[in-house]
Amino acid sequence: MSLQESRNLAQRLLAYEAAGTEHSAASESAASRVCAKLRGPLITLAGVAGFRSLLSRALTLARAEVPSLSAVQVAADGSLRGLDELVSQTDKEQARDGGAILIAQLVGLLLTFIGEGLTIRLVQDVWPEAAFDGRVSEKRGKLERTR
Amino acid sequence: MSAHDRVIIKKLPTGVPGLDEILGGGLPEFSFNIVAGAPGSGKTTLAHQIVFANATPERPALYFTILGEPALKMLRYQQQYTFFDQAKLSTAVRFINLSQVVLEKDLDAVLEEIAKQIEKANPGIVVVDSFRTVVRKALGGTTEVELQAFIQRLALLLTSWQATTFLVGEYVEGEIRDNPVFTVSDGLFWLYQTSERSSIVRKLQIMKLRGQASVPGLHTFRITNAGLQAFSRTLGLAGQTRKIPSTRRLSIGIPELDKMLGGGIPEGDSILVAGASGTGKSVLATQFVAEGIRQGDPGVVVVFEERPQEYAERASSFGLDLKTPRREKKLEILYLRPLDLSVDETMHEILAAVRKLGAKRLVIDSLAGFEMALAPGFRADFRESLYRMITALTGIGVTILSTVEVNESFTEFPFSTYSISFLTDDIIRLRYVCIDGKLRKIMVVIKMRGGNHSNDIREYEITSKGVVLTGDCLTDYQGLITGIPKRVGRSGGKEARTHKSKAKTNS
Repeated sequence: MSLQESRNLAQRLLAYEAAGTEHSAASESAASRVCAKLRGPLITLAGVAGFRSLLSRALTLARAEVPSLSAVQVAADGSLRGLDELVSQTDKEQARDGGAILIAQLVGLLLTFIGEGLTIRLVQDVWPEAAFDGRVSEKRGKLERTR
Repeated sequence: MSAHDRVIIKKLPTGVPGLDEILGGGLPEFSFNIVAGAPGSGKTTLAHQIVFANATPERPALYFTILGEPALKMLRYQQQYTFFDQAKLSTAVRFINLSQVVLEKDLDAVLEEIAKQIEKANPGIVVVDSFRTVVRKALGGTTEVELQAFIQRLALLLTSWQATTFLVGEYVEGEIRDNPVFTVSDGLFWLYQTSERSSIVRKLQIMKLRGQASVPGLHTFRITNAGLQAFSRTLGLAGQTRKIPSTRRLSIGIPELDKMLGGGIPEGDSILVAGASGTGKSVLATQFVAEGIRQGDPGVVVVFEERPQEYAERASSFGLDLKTPRREKKLEILYLRPLDLSVDETMHEILAAVRKLGAKRLVIDSLAGFEMALAPGFRADFRESLYRMITALTGIGVTILSTVEVNESFTEFPFSTYSISFLTDDIIRLRYVCIDGKLRKIMVVIKMRGGNHSNDIREYEITSKGVVLTGDCLTDYQGLITGIPKRVGRSGGKEARTHKSKAKTNS
């Protein structure tokens, strides 16, 4: 899977979460929520240390593209700190892009390590209500809101 | 207690071809097992095969990972195997990382976490990989009694919840005596990997299995992209019923030789054709199998020195059509050349071909090639395994013709360099002789365990029709079997050298 395809998947996940907050008026960003939702099953699978390593790597890769992410940190329990504050401190669009790139890097790492099939299954487990045809590819796959 | 009152232990499939048979039918349900071995011996792959063979959404498999191979990497590598069914992940197969609990808490917390997960998931299969890590961590501040108590409580918990458990660990054999985990376990599967010169030899042993009889000893296994495949050292033939000996004689495809054999080879015999290079052993073997096909007996030819296509082509040059029966699945030509084959693996391949075709005739051409195809470490087992296979196959009525090359000597008349004549019923010896300044060929039937045979020494040629006996018994020469005979007959012509045979017979 290409970088673009992993970014597409990340965008779909973010769009899904963003749409879900329209009525809840939550202050946390879609990227934070995607990250938090992936954290549970990934900790079960790889342990806290495993998830922290993965997220830290994703953050490092994302910082190369969005330097303002340097204010964001991965906490000892694998949670993300500082992303939501970034939204209030910087340009909202820039902060959103930063979050999207971070998620894209995290998804990209999963794809690199465990492949498309298992990554999709993991995503499906986290967002079971989302209809998904099993492929991430732009041509064949789509993640849609069904509710 | 009558047999009816006894509890029936259900046997679960391992998903490893050949292993169920070694285990005596499969894995005892609800058993508490150890999978031990050195790094790289295949423990995790074995555990995964068992997991994927048994896990269902209703009775899933829980795979606890602890500080060993990181779970993401394990998934990365294990998904390369064909048994790895992605559709089962998270529904039927669940991976749970316990590293943090093990690192930060004590054995009670580990047990509590395992219990919590088990109560939640109701698993049929539970794997702890690596359990060795749990034990190592525990030993830091735990007495041996406490450790044993923990293992016992764990075993009790998993068995009570009706789970079949596998604790995977890197152990060395010396630990068996002192480690409480081996005492508590119902089953102990040990995997070995050793290098023999340039080859890798993998073997497994069921060191312990409560409740059922496993096949003792070391069994070869191989890891391919389909995972582990095990080859029982008894070739799956233990306890097989022997066929009532047949009185049928099989034609070898050379009428004059059939006469020398007392009417042909007794069905179910193992016959050895021994001779120097170029004496026509392979041609004779081809005639034997081709004659079988002609008479409706499917056959298998195992070759090591040429490819099936070449073998069939060479047969056509003697007027023997092997291509048609190959197409019609009446003949299989197996080419076994890789130099790291295990003997049991090879035997299994031959047996599978024999079973598939219902073969009545089997040719092994040649025993030297067979031995050379094996990894060096397996060559020591060659004769023993060959003996087991020949005994088993002839026992079910397959007639086996093996060729063996012997070094031609002008002082001796060896039958075989393999010391395997004890496992053959019949021996035909081919050899060169020097007569009238020409190198000619003679054959003699040395041994026939089951009946009369001619003692004649006959000259033969290899013609476009294969091996053809050219005359009658050579009686004008003395010392034919030395290869340098002396003429003792008075007449000098060819006709004088041979005369009508009065085929003497031995009984």
